[in-house]
Amino acid sequence: MSQLLRACAALAVFPLLAASQDAGGIQWLTSYREALKEARATGKPIFLEYRCEP
Amino acid sequence: MSQYVCVRVIRMDDVDVNLFEYDRNNPLYFFLMNADEQIYARYGGRDSAAVDSYLNLDSLELALAKGLELHNQWKKGEWKPAAPRPAPKFPREYPLLVQRTFAQGQCVECHLIGDFQNIHRQLDGTLDKRKHLWRSPDFKVIGITIDVPKGLVVKQASGDAAAAGMMAGDVIRSWNGARVWTFADAQYAYDMLDRSARQVQVVVERGGAERELTMQLPLRWWLTDVRWRQSSVDPRVYFDDRPLTEAEKRERNLPVEGFASMVRRVADMARMMKTHELAVGDVIIAVNGVDRDPDANTAELYLRLRTKPGDTVQLDVIRGGERIKLPLRSLQMSFRK
Repeated sequence: MSQLLRACAALAVFPLLAASQDAGGIQWLTSYREALKEARATGKPIFLEYRCEP
Repeated sequence: MSQYVCVRVIRMDDVDVNLFEYDRNNPLYFFLMNADEQIYARYGGRDSAAVDSYLNLDSLELALAKGLELHNQWKKGEWKPAAPRPAPKFPREYPLLVQRTFAQGQCVECHLIGDFQNIHRQLDGTLDKRKHLWRSPDFKVIGITIDVPKGLVVKQASGDAAAAGMMAGDVIRSWNGARVWTFADAQYAYDMLDRSARQVQVVVERGGAERELTMQLPLRWWLTDVRWRQSSVDPRVYFDDRPLTEAEKRERNLPVEGFASMVRRVADMARMMKTHELAVGDVIIAVNGVDRDPDANTAELYLRLRTKPGDTVQLDVIRGGERIKLPLRSLQMSFRK
């Protein structure tokens, strides 16, 4: 299986996570700097995802 | 998840690659951290079989819960990172990566970071192929099967792990001195181990108490199938082989400590590029007269570890009972040139 297909397979593992959280109002920021700012403002920890977009 | 600030990064252009260091052939990788950029835990990891062998929603939930616990400790001043922050390093500091991506308006993909770090290591003489190309060591090599949904619970211990006293049901708590909370933490700690190491200290939790185990490591504990790392491991040799067994070596009067191996697949590229004329079933017994190496158990591995892309070598081969010599020319991935 090619690396690309393997990557697609991996990305398919977590759609529930992203979809349900999005449906539940969880916002995925796309700016790391913004995430740091928001974490400082809210006192929350950060869940940082590095994702290779196929 | 609502207790976290969630951020998804799909371009590596401005990422501090020393702070967020990981095997870039993970298409998904996560860090649990605080606003001071201190990392509590990682989530992800993989093996050669699949990118998602260790991705599981149950274990992710465990990791998230641990992240919150550590974050609360941090807010009370009860948690500090185990190591100081590494000196920052950004993709723009790798000139050849800049030429390949920024200068052409192209995305800095995760795997390109790893590939170009290795190109620069090769240029400055710091590349250790065992460490930098064979990343993400596989726990199964030393007999550890993880109960993936349960995080770091050992499902089965055999081989070196069992010999060290590890048992099914143990929870791995520390690897080579690093506190680990997730599979990704443990695999990363394992990945940082010197490739010449022949033992590792492991702490497991069993029945509420922690026990320290000294685990002996086999030769080539770091060796995994890297064929899926299509762009990562030069030189390209365009064949696969398997080590001969001791009995097979004795049958052929070959040294048991040698890397004699049998060709099991020849890539079409070998014929297209006229790089060699090996055939399935050939036994390679030496490369340029060398028949053994402390790190290599096959001729293919010897070629990958000890020769440079573009080298032409002479192979000693047994074919149909006859000893013959065949030349082999290796190639380099075009983007590395």
